[in-house]
Amino acid sequence: MFRWKKLGLLFGPRQVTDRPWLKEFAQAPAVLLFDDFVRVYFSCRPPPDANGQYVSRSAFVDLNRANLFEVRGISERPILPLGGLGEFDEFGTYPVSVIRHGNEVRAYYAGWTRCESVPFNVAIGLAISTDGGETFAKAGRGPVISYSPDEPFVMSGPKIRRFGDGWYRWYIAGRKWKVVGGRPEPVYKIRLATSADGWRWTKVNRDLIVSRLEADEAQASPDVFEAGGRYHMFFCYRFSDDYRGKARGYRIGYAWSTNLLDWTRDDAQGGIDVSEAGWDSEMVSYPHVFTLDGKTYLAYLGNQVGRHGFGLAVRE
Amino acid sequence: MRWRKLGQIFDPTEHALPNGCAEFAQSPQALVFDDFVRIYFSTRARDAGGKYLSHVAFVDMKKNLRDVLRVSEKAVIPLGDLGCFDEHGIFPMNVLRHRGAVYGYTSGWSRRVSVSVETAIGLAVSRDGGITFERLGSGPIVAASLQEPYLVGDAFVKVVGEQFHMWYIFGTGWKRFSDGAPPDRTYKIGHASSRDGVSWQKEEAQQIIPDRLGPDESQALPTVIEIDQRLHMFFCYRQSFDFRKNRDRGYRIGHACSDDRVSWTRDDARPALDGTSGAWDSDMQCYPHVFECDGQVHLLYNGNEFGRRGFGLAVLDR
Repeated sequence: MFRWKKLGLLFGPRQVTDRPWLKEFAQAPAVLLFDDFVRVYFSCRPPPDANGQYVSRSAFVDLNRANLFEVRGISERPILPLGGLGEFDEFGTYPVSVIRHGNEVRAYYAGWTRCESVPFNVAIGLAISTDGGETFAKAGRGPVISYSPDEPFVMSGPKIRRFGDGWYRWYIAGRKWKVVGGRPEPVYKIRLATSADGWRWTKVNRDLIVSRLEADEAQASPDVFEAGGRYHMFFCYRFSDDYRGKARGYRIGYAWSTNLLDWTRDDAQGGIDVSEAGWDSEMVSYPHVFTLDGKTYLAYLGNQVGRHGFGLAVRE
Repeated sequence: MRWRKLGQIFDPTEHALPNGCAEFAQSPQALVFDDFVRIYFSTRARDAGGKYLSHVAFVDMKKNLRDVLRVSEKAVIPLGDLGCFDEHGIFPMNVLRHRGAVYGYTSGWSRRVSVSVETAIGLAVSRDGGITFERLGSGPIVAASLQEPYLVGDAFVKVVGEQFHMWYIFGTGWKRFSDGAPPDRTYKIGHASSRDGVSWQKEEAQQIIPDRLGPDESQALPTVIEIDQRLHMFFCYRQSFDFRKNRDRGYRIGHACSDDRVSWTRDDARPALDGTSGAWDSDMQCYPHVFECDGQVHLLYNGNEFGRRGFGLAVLDR
């Protein structure tokens, strides 16, 4: 059983006033450790356009390693340009997952495009930094992993990890678009692809986490780490409809595995839920676990999936 | 190569087609049976908003390729579900027999907001002799990738020995060629290979047929046949904008040949096939499909307006 002590909201868009592209939201935190600071990548949004539609950008905030609540700097500009006309990431780059590889930092990110019959589609791209994660160049103009018969759309939320010699990328893949009150809502499940080099990927091609709420439960943010001789996954899940409020909105789930492929879901072991009041009183989502100087932390989103930013908890 | 033109052989407006389709019989693709030839094509209905939806249908013809025996009575393959790659149309579908089944390689269309469409290649299999097809899954088997960012389609598949070969097209860019014009796309012909026909390795943005009209040439619908130990590819090509009504910039049939399946020599400076003045193919020739039947090589193709009034036939004089 994990036990977490909540430390409160760590970073939010209200702390920033001079970057118009970082006006709302700070979503999907992902950490890269440096000697004396912690870089947290996240996704944010400029104000919506005249039609009320958003684009998502991605950026980072550097936190003092000795005191994570002290901001040392914020990226001057988004780390990735939006894609060109007709490209998969023309209308958003969100979320981002980073990993060091030699002198590179590789970022796997989800790119958003807009569709006619459904609001969007999402695919996973790759960008590479050679300056320690300050700036990234896209590896190509298309996605690094394609849709396939059983993963037909909405491939999103990549989480890149290395265990042993292997590259592992957890992500989500859309199962269906469910029309709720005339509005298409995506149902997605947690999936895995493996690779020897981070470029050519083989899909495991099955759902890793059983659904608990309902068959159409949506699952996201599969965040995996190793501790105590086991692999642990924190993720989030919600109902397929009417999920924008407290009752049916995102919660954080938990599963464990000994081989990275077969997972036992046991949400009660995760040990984190909504608060009585405050910024995370209605939902908790997009968990990211990292270890720093002997402590294990959980970064996560609260109400309205990160509109107010992300918070932090420490393992007791 | 000398083609003897036999004229238009099928007009969709003369038949009752499934799904309420009234016009267009595009990209004819043949499946030869003992005593007839089934020709699949894509035809169009309109949705509630007035936009086109392409559906696959077929016509069975006597082997003289003149007499119509029947047209498909029901949907050959339904369109994809909400949000799927083939929700708004299947055009074209390439068919071949493999291990007692008929494989249909589909090009699925789904509508976008900033550009008109995205496409990808799906696979559906028929176990009733090609009357109906069932998808492998709701997603594509070949789709956009790192160096081929969009518009993967127009598969033509051929099995040689143990190897599947696919010639297909990939988009190289969307561009507004004049102020206020909607974006137009450009695509080129590429090649992929597979051991099972399901899992494919693309060569990733390797254009195999050189441009003749320059970088803004769009190449479409490759079809490949072996004649006298040499591979021949037919395809169609056009300028990437102002190609719909301007006959000087519209589709023509192109040709290339290869002795090793890898390097292709293009030799269509003189057109492989000419339009006939005043006839159904006077302004445009497109969407070729080459097949052999009873020792003769046949070329099916569309004429004016991208096949609004059907397709025609030419026979190779050897």
